[in-house]
Amino acid sequence: MKIRVKNLSVNYGSSEVLHSVDLEISSGEKVFIGGANGSGKTTLLRALAGIIPHRGEVSIDGREISSIKRKDMAKMIALMPQTNELFFPYTVYETVLLGTYAFSKSILGGISAENIQYAGKCMKDCGVDDLGDRHLDELSGGQLQRVLLARTFAQKAPFLFLDEPGNNLDIKYRAELCDKLNSWTRENTDGSDNTLVAVFHDLEQARRCCTRAVMMKEGSIIFDGDINDGTTPEMLLKIYDFDVASYIDNKLKL
Amino acid sequence: MTKKGTGLKIAISAILCFFILILAIRQGSVYISLKDLFGIISGHITGKGTPEGIEPMMDSIFWTIRMPRAIMAFLVGGALSVSGACMQALLQNPLASSYTLGVSSGASLGAAIVLILEISIPLLAGFMLPFTGFVFGLITVVLALSLASVIDRNVSNTTVVLIGMILSLFVNGIMNFLSTLYSDHSKQLYLWMMGSFSARGWKHCLILFPVCVVCFAILMLTSRKMDIMSFGDLQAQAMGVDAKKTKLVAIVICSLLTGISVAFTGVIGFVDLAAPHVVRKLFGPSHRIVLPMSFIYGGAFMALCDLISRTVLSPREIPVGAVTALIGAPFFAYVFFASRRKRA
Repeated sequence: MKIRVKNLSVNYGSSEVLHSVDLEISSGEKVFIGGANGSGKTTLLRALAGIIPHRGEVSIDGREISSIKRKDMAKMIALMPQTNELFFPYTVYETVLLGTYAFSKSILGGISAENIQYAGKCMKDCGVDDLGDRHLDELSGGQLQRVLLARTFAQKAPFLFLDEPGNNLDIKYRAELCDKLNSWTRENTDGSDNTLVAVFHDLEQARRCCTRAVMMKEGSIIFDGDINDGTTPEMLLKIYDFDVASYIDNKLKL
Repeated sequence: MTKKGTGLKIAISAILCFFILILAIRQGSVYISLKDLFGIISGHITGKGTPEGIEPMMDSIFWTIRMPRAIMAFLVGGALSVSGACMQALLQNPLASSYTLGVSSGASLGAAIVLILEISIPLLAGFMLPFTGFVFGLITVVLALSLASVIDRNVSNTTVVLIGMILSLFVNGIMNFLSTLYSDHSKQLYLWMMGSFSARGWKHCLILFPVCVVCFAILMLTSRKMDIMSFGDLQAQAMGVDAKKTKLVAIVICSLLTGISVAFTGVIGFVDLAAPHVVRKLFGPSHRIVLPMSFIYGGAFMALCDLISRTVLSPREIPVGAVTALIGAPFFAYVFFASRRKRA
């Protein structure tokens, strides 16, 4: 499978936040999307997932995404957003199970035994299987993040779009998240290679999980290539207008 | 997905609801024994007629006055609560309901205009009031949504609720204006603004009942979508739900439920706000259970409030909307803040 983006622009109100972006992502890639706050990373991710209106072309295997049914899209792309609106305190188990919605066959949205089992596996993989009966408003930030990750995995989609999945996770869970993502990208779902597209603020995590970097600045892609070339001190200085390399060096000396 | 003990809680709720309905039918200035009451009901249902020994007057009091009134109260309470539950989930706002979105006020304005101008379209016959209620309710909510989209490009749910509230206050103003202008109708209009089940009979039930069944069935089919929608529109789309379509369908269905209810009984606030919250506290937020339980709890609460409205100052009647607010408001505040304190 291949996602193709050509001349993609996105507006929020009257201001354009993505300016004619071109991008191609093929099955099996591990793509890091980097950039400063407000550079358009989240917007790009949302446009790729087809959940916000866009101009230009975003297609999967030649099909424009806005013409694909929501349920079918959800089976191909699972998106974990940066922030979450948690209006009702569902239990952890209920929440993860909702991830399998796109696979519910009957009109009543009945849940098959297979989906229940799969949701259980995702909970276990993300280390939240012992939290099943807890309510979302009783969880710590890190626990919640892992629950939402489990729900995203439950979508069984070969494309995984993660928007700052390391948020609220302590250093141990961040490392485990990388391991989990790395083992997931080695598998394949429904015959196609798993593909990761992720926004990270933690460059260490980005380097551990991804091989390709797409660096953004002010709504445009200014670098697309190997992650080691995309995260050089010069590149980071250009992207953040800030001497990232010496900041990290100083931090490590502490 | 169902937790242990939920079945038992549902059974207890259903039994409680049944007893409240019986109570609502039986209590009043005229006394009847349970045996006679069931005799009358079963006589009518089986078509055998009133059992011997029961006066025809009793039969008509209970079968043609009290019973349809109690059932009407139950249906209206249920319909309002279910639409409240949906609106809260779809707009992710605990204050969202048909009442706060202006559907109720809009519907009552429509009904008032029909009453005052004595309009009747022969084709619609007895359906004139419910039809106008639905149309005006829908117009108000569409107006609220389109105003919201002009003011706030993202059509954020908070904007929608705020505009709905503003519109509903505005429409209430028009109602007050009308009731002063057409003072011969002012008593009728006053009852409309506070709601009343007085003189509601089987013919009203027979229109509302099928509407409730159909609307409820459609909403139940979207119950899992509503679960997902409560995580926000963008997330819902990413999980495979067409957020816009789901919202539109649900809003039309809720306007239908509310518009028709209000056209028959007037504006009754509070139950649509409070019942779903109480139900979620008891059963959790899963809509597969919240929707039917909101119907039962909202219906039983309304039947109880109507009972109070017609018995406390008997033979005078208090508008039922006043009763729902007087009982509901403090109770709701207690439920809402008690749990908040616990969580903090």
